[in-house]
Amino acid sequence: MRRWLAFHRDLGLQLFALYLLLIVPFLVTLWAFDGLIGVRIRRDVQASNLALAQSISQEVNLAIAKALNTVAGLSTYEGVIKADEAAMGEIFNLVLATSPEVNLVYRLGPNGIMLYHAPTGPGSTVGVDFSFRDYFQAALLTDQPLVSLGRISPTTNQAVATAVMPLWSDDGVFLGLIGANIRLESLSQTLTAVISEHQIEEGLQVVILDAANQIIAYPDPQYLLHPAQDIIPEGYLVNFNGENDSQIASAPQGEERLYTRASIPNIHWQVIVSRPTAAAFATQIILRRIVLVAAGTFILIGLFFWGMLTVRVIHPIERLVPISEAIGLNQPISPPDQRYLFTESKRSDQIGNLIQSIIGMRDSIQERIREQATLLETSTAVVSSLDTETVLNRILEQMGRLLQIKMYAVIALDETNGSFRIRASRGLSKQFTEQLSIQPSEPDSVTMRALHVHEPVQVSDTETDPSYAIRKHRARLEGFRAVLAVPLNTKHAPPTALLVFHPTPHIFTANEIQLLTSFANHAAMAIEHAVLFERSDMRLREQTQRLEALVESLHDGLILTDLHGKIIYANKRIGELAELDIKNLSGMHADQILARIIEKASDPPARHKPPHNLLKTGGESKMEITCTLQNQTVHLRLEVFSVNDEQGTPIGHGILFHDITADWELDRVRSSLVSTVSHELRTPLAAIKGYVSTMLADDVEWDHASQREFLTIISDETDRLTSLVNNLLDLSRIEAGSLKLSMEKCNTETVIRNAAKEARLSPQNIFKVSIAPKAAALYADRLRLESILRNLIENSVKYAGETATIKVEVERSAGEIVFRVKDNGPGIPLKEKEHVFERFYRVDEGLTRPTSGAGLGLTICQGLVTAHGGRIWVEPQLEGACIAFTIPVKSRTATSAVRRTRSNEHQRSGRGRRKAPA
Amino acid sequence: MNINVLVVDDEKPLREFVRRNLEVRGYKVACAANGLEALAIFQNEPVQLVIMDIMMPHMDGLEATRRIRDESHVPIIILTAMGEETDKVRAFDLGADDYLTKPFGVGELLGRIKAVLRRADWAGTVSGGGRIVRGEVEVDIEKHQVRVRGEAVELTPTEFNLLVYLMKNAGKTLHHRAILQHVWGPEYSHEAEYLRVYMGRLRQKIESNPLKPVYLHTEHGVGYRFEG
Repeated sequence: MRRWLAFHRDLGLQLFALYLLLIVPFLVTLWAFDGLIGVRIRRDVQASNLALAQSISQEVNLAIAKALNTVAGLSTYEGVIKADEAAMGEIFNLVLATSPEVNLVYRLGPNGIMLYHAPTGPGSTVGVDFSFRDYFQAALLTDQPLVSLGRISPTTNQAVATAVMPLWSDDGVFLGLIGANIRLESLSQTLTAVISEHQIEEGLQVVILDAANQIIAYPDPQYLLHPAQDIIPEGYLVNFNGENDSQIASAPQGEERLYTRASIPNIHWQVIVSRPTAAAFATQIILRRIVLVAAGTFILIGLFFWGMLTVRVIHPIERLVPISEAIGLNQPISPPDQRYLFTESKRSDQIGNLIQSIIGMRDSIQERIREQATLLETSTAVVSSLDTETVLNRILEQMGRLLQIKMYAVIALDETNGSFRIRASRGLSKQFTEQLSIQPSEPDSVTMRALHVHEPVQVSDTETDPSYAIRKHRARLEGFRAVLAVPLNTKHAPPTALLVFHPTPHIFTANEIQLLTSFANHAAMAIEHAVLFERSDMRLREQTQRLEALVESLHDGLILTDLHGKIIYANKRIGELAELDIKNLSGMHADQILARIIEKASDPPARHKPPHNLLKTGGESKMEITCTLQNQTVHLRLEVFSVNDEQGTPIGHGILFHDITADWELDRVRSSLVSTVSHELRTPLAAIKGYVSTMLADDVEWDHASQREFLTIISDETDRLTSLVNNLLDLSRIEAGSLKLSMEKCNTETVIRNAAKEARLSPQNIFKVSIAPKAAALYADRLRLESILRNLIENSVKYAGETATIKVEVERSAGEIVFRVKDNGPGIPLKEKEHVFERFYRVDEGLTRPTSGAGLGLTICQGLVTAHGGRIWVEPQLEGACIAFTIPVKSRTATSAVRRTRSNEHQRSGRGRRKAPA
Repeated sequence: MNINVLVVDDEKPLREFVRRNLEVRGYKVACAANGLEALAIFQNEPVQLVIMDIMMPHMDGLEATRRIRDESHVPIIILTAMGEETDKVRAFDLGADDYLTKPFGVGELLGRIKAVLRRADWAGTVSGGGRIVRGEVEVDIEKHQVRVRGEAVELTPTEFNLLVYLMKNAGKTLHHRAILQHVWGPEYSHEAEYLRVYMGRLRQKIESNPLKPVYLHTEHGVGYRFEG
């Protein structure tokens, strides 16, 4: 149903519409023409009928009028009026003689008795009462002539109509009437004459009816005075209203006729002319038949044409549509369809051609699809593996399947020996593949030519091609006659070509070459992929290794987790920090590790944010913890950062355990330095300010001796301040490596005495000096040596107390002078011995606060001793403390010694740091 | 004036300076060179005031202060060369009453000594007598006794004076400076540090939860208020 509605989609429907468009106007025109002609013919027939009827009616009218005039004339005769037989006989016979149609003239008396009639004849009706006659009754009511109805005259025994003239006396007495019987036969004769003028086949019928519809005149006398219904349809008679008209009606005999009538006005008679319609409308009927035949013919032709069109054109096309669709979609064609295609393709017309071309198309589509499928498989093969050999073999396999070739190979430059060798092949002998080696310098080689021009090159017959002459032998041995070389488009891989061999002379078609080029491109891709992958893989591996080594050797701990905090990577340092085997780390949750590390924190972990919050905050967050690892204090700064991919989407978290122990230490040293220096400076300043303010105080008057004592103290403290400042300067010079010693020969004892003088020994202190003879003099920076000794002595006083015995011993040993400063105080605890010289280290930091000057003093000593190229150390003692130092006898490279020391220090501190958290 | 002063410093010149100045002004002075000596003297002789350096060998001033405070309310003035906030706080925490930063002059020294002695004199600062009860805190001014929740609480004179001053003005917010001038003395009006440390110590002694004080309220940037 839908197909019928889909007018535009249906060729048959369109053609049908076109057909109708052509035929319908034609038939309509024909029908209209037929109608017009019919009307015209009918009008003509009616007109001729009417003319005939009118002419007859006039004629009858004339005859009747003549009879009426005659009777009217007779009524004027005296003899007639008086009913004088003799006179009437004379006149009546005269009338009879002149009017052949009148066969009887008579006179009725006032009571209707026949008075006289002429001719008298044997059957006389004189004396018979005719008062019952219709005309007598009519005559009683008028003085005008009238015509009677048709009847059989008893006198003449003939059908007549009577012209009657009533007779009235002058005083109005009815005197009777005069009648003249008109022979109706005579009227009929007139009609016969009229009819005879027309051709018999017209079937013309003429009849005259009286007012009572009796047949007055008719060619066949038998019908006279019969009711008109006998020959004229009753329906037509009933319609009469005195007008002329025309109508087709069926005659009582069954024939259809065209009736036309004309009335005879005065006497209410009518003339009816009729013809059979068959005759009347013959032309029109013929014309109609022609129209019908034409329409029928057209329809038949149309149907035939339609049928032919459907069978021969539309149906094949409709059937081809799904088939061609199926072909286009590469779907199977059903066997009936295939048979149909086969039979129809034998047609020699366009449809046949169309089917042939569809079949051709199907074949070529299938061929293409097969090619594409193979190429697709090849593509799949290319990406399926990164192993060049595998991929090449797969490509070659596909190639063989598609092209139905038996011998082919991939040849590539072997970079190790600089010649082209076969990398993969099919259908070639082992000997050939192993032995074939083409030098890049061979310009005639098909491979080289193809690689050179970057286009496929073929030798269609190895026997005849001159360029192949020298290799003919090889071709014969291997059994090929044609070669095609297709270069591969390689950029990163060495130059490569695809070789195809044909056992017989063969010209490779453009299609074959195109296909092979496709394969060559795929192969090139595979090779390139593999080469690039190999390179990038190697590079990636190198980078990864480098990165891993870097991360592993980091002194900082690093954890990388996924978004849920599960550890993906943790470096060695994390293992150390968490005291876990690094292998067990991955898969654990970062919170566990964090918790393990924070557990070791020396300050309460409650002070920190709980570790899982650290991860959950998402953004960057930091915290610092101090923990003890293997008896070493380690300061860690935890940094949590989110790890994003290239688009900036978070893919995980990183937690960095930055070891800030060194920074921490440095900070501590720095603040310690500041407070130490501040303390050291404030101590003499306090004495100075104290005594100055004491002297300035208004409320106390000090005696002279006291004032002098105070001023001495102020002076001493000022000296101390100066020397302190000098020491600090020296210290900073030592730090900067720019301390310059001014070496001179010094007397050992003098130096010691000077130092002791400044060292604020209390009077209770016992100070002893013992100098070995060989150490009486030495080469040194005198002021600085004094500084060293003063610091050490001061230290002894401070720690051993004001009543202690302090000894300075000097001896010479192996190229150096050894100084020892001893006291009998509490001594230096064993565990502190190593640290006393570290800058600003103070014994038992914690409970006992740094003793005045202690830290700085020993540090300065160490700096100055090493500046001289000597050593300083704590010497074990049974009682009290002993600090010893050496000064080389010949100190030449003082500054370099300082440098060396500094670098040693750095190494040591570096080692120390590395050791500490381990 | 028969006041014994114990001067403790490892630096002889400074020790001598203090001794000479105090002796000449009528104080009796004992000297020590370190904490251990100081404790020995403190235990054997009557001492009304201690002046102590922090940095000394063997036993430093802070430790000595702590030990003296265990036994006595004797006023202690700390001498420091650091002038660092943390040292001050630590000294106050351990029970020092005042401190002097080196270098200082005679005037300062004498002023501090007088102020400390004045504060240490119970009747000297708290005028009037009787009892003050605010909530669960009871103070007997005559007897210098404080009971909190029925239990006796030991307060130093300064702490006691501070508490009484705050309780007498209960409900009123007292400005830092007003408290300092009234409790410590006019020359202390800028030493907000003292007040902070002492308020902390009072809370430790009086409040059941010092972190959520019920009696001693801080008005940030203004001062303190006692509610009871």
